Amino acid sequence: MNNAELPSSSRNLGRATLGELERGVLEVLWALPDHRSVTVRDVHASLAESRSIAYTTVMTVMERLARKGLVDQTKDGRAYTYRPRASRGELTAELMHAALDEVGSADRSGALVAFVAEASADEVEALRAALSRLEQ
Amino acid sequence: MTPLLLGALAVLLAGPVPALLARWPRLRRSPGASLVLWQSVAAAAVLAALGAGLSLTTAHVWAPERDWVGRVIAVVALAVTALVAARLLLSGHRVGTTLRQLRRRHRAQLDLLAHRERGVEVLDHDLPVAYCLPALGGSRVVVSAGMLDRLTEDEVAAVLAHERAHLRSRHDLLLEAFSVLHRAFPRWVSSRAALDEVKLLVEVMADRAAVRGRDPRHLGRALVALAESRVPAAALPAGGAGLVTRVDLLADPDPHRLQSVLVLVAAVLVVVLPTALVVLPWLLSLWAV
Repeated sequence: MNNAELPSSSRNLGRATLGELERGVLEVLWALPDHRSVTVRDVHASLAESRSIAYTTVMTVMERLARKGLVDQTKDGRAYTYRPRASRGELTAELMHAALDEVGSADRSGALVAFVAEASADEVEALRAALSRLEQ
Repeated sequence: MTPLLLGALAVLLAGPVPALLARWPRLRRSPGASLVLWQSVAAAAVLAALGAGLSLTTAHVWAPERDWVGRVIAVVALAVTALVAARLLLSGHRVGTTLRQLRRRHRAQLDLLAHRERGVEVLDHDLPVAYCLPALGGSRVVVSAGMLDRLTEDEVAAVLAHERAHLRSRHDLLLEAFSVLHRAFPRWVSSRAALDEVKLLVEVMADRAAVRGRDPRHLGRALVALAESRVPAAALPAGGAGLVTRVDLLADPDPHRLQSVLVLVAAVLVVVLPTALVVLPWLLSLWAV
């Protein structure tokens, strides 16, 4: 289907909006005490308090998050239940370390461009000396 | 004679010339012009290598008496040329797809975890980091809360200006091109010198853009502060030496116009001279036959 033919409201359901929805769902899951498992219905109820959103949209978003490995999906009777795989802090730490590995390894691909490369203790000493030259 | 000249030129431009340029730190004072020179040396090396193979082929195909030795040489030369071209294309494809995939994944996760502040993505983590995630549309500058805590307002502004300069000038494309070249050929052909030096020059360019109209000491302090807080437990040989160079160059904001012009002239000559003196006569001789 050609995007240009769609009315503007559905065209806005592009990537940015999908990302926002994923974020919204994750925030609901993260806010639950002990990351207990919930159903799509629970998440939908929580999201619907602040915005109008279809049940099926929430379901699609949660399935996407499960496919991406960000939430665990388990079958509980007839319904699926969901819980976050890790807390926000844990995922942030994972992402940070992935970024540091990427820019720190000798064989880095250059996917990310870091402000400073990793330096050894001796190099930091030389760096401080260079800074004091600059400060003069 | 043409294949021999072009072959020798390709070998020179692939190995000794980059090694020599990298050992000449003065070039870093005119980073923009020097980047152009590095690019023309790389382009000339590739063109000379391809030209050497093709001219060896034509020398035997166009020869008045075609013996079977000549035919074998022509076929082998053509095959080697095709192999070189194929390796370049394959390497370009591989590097390009890996980069884009890594960046796409990283950005998707980032957008779920970071919050936006002053137009940059902030990750809630104590380790101080600052990096940029280049993309055709939707590039991101990423910093951590630890970095914002540790640096002063002016230092943060300098770091962000540095990262934005990388994104604005599409330095990632330059780095990608040199990674492609580096990975396309075995180690004994392509030295690491070119890639490493281009990485450093790109940082010097971004540093220069970041201190334009600012006190360079802010950027210098930020550089040192972030490097200090990230010393790995097991010290690895890494890019620390480049950091000292960068801080030293902050004290030298002069554009070095004369040197820039001379370096640019050299960059033009590296491509033009072999073309005019070797390639054109060869192509004209084919025409004449």
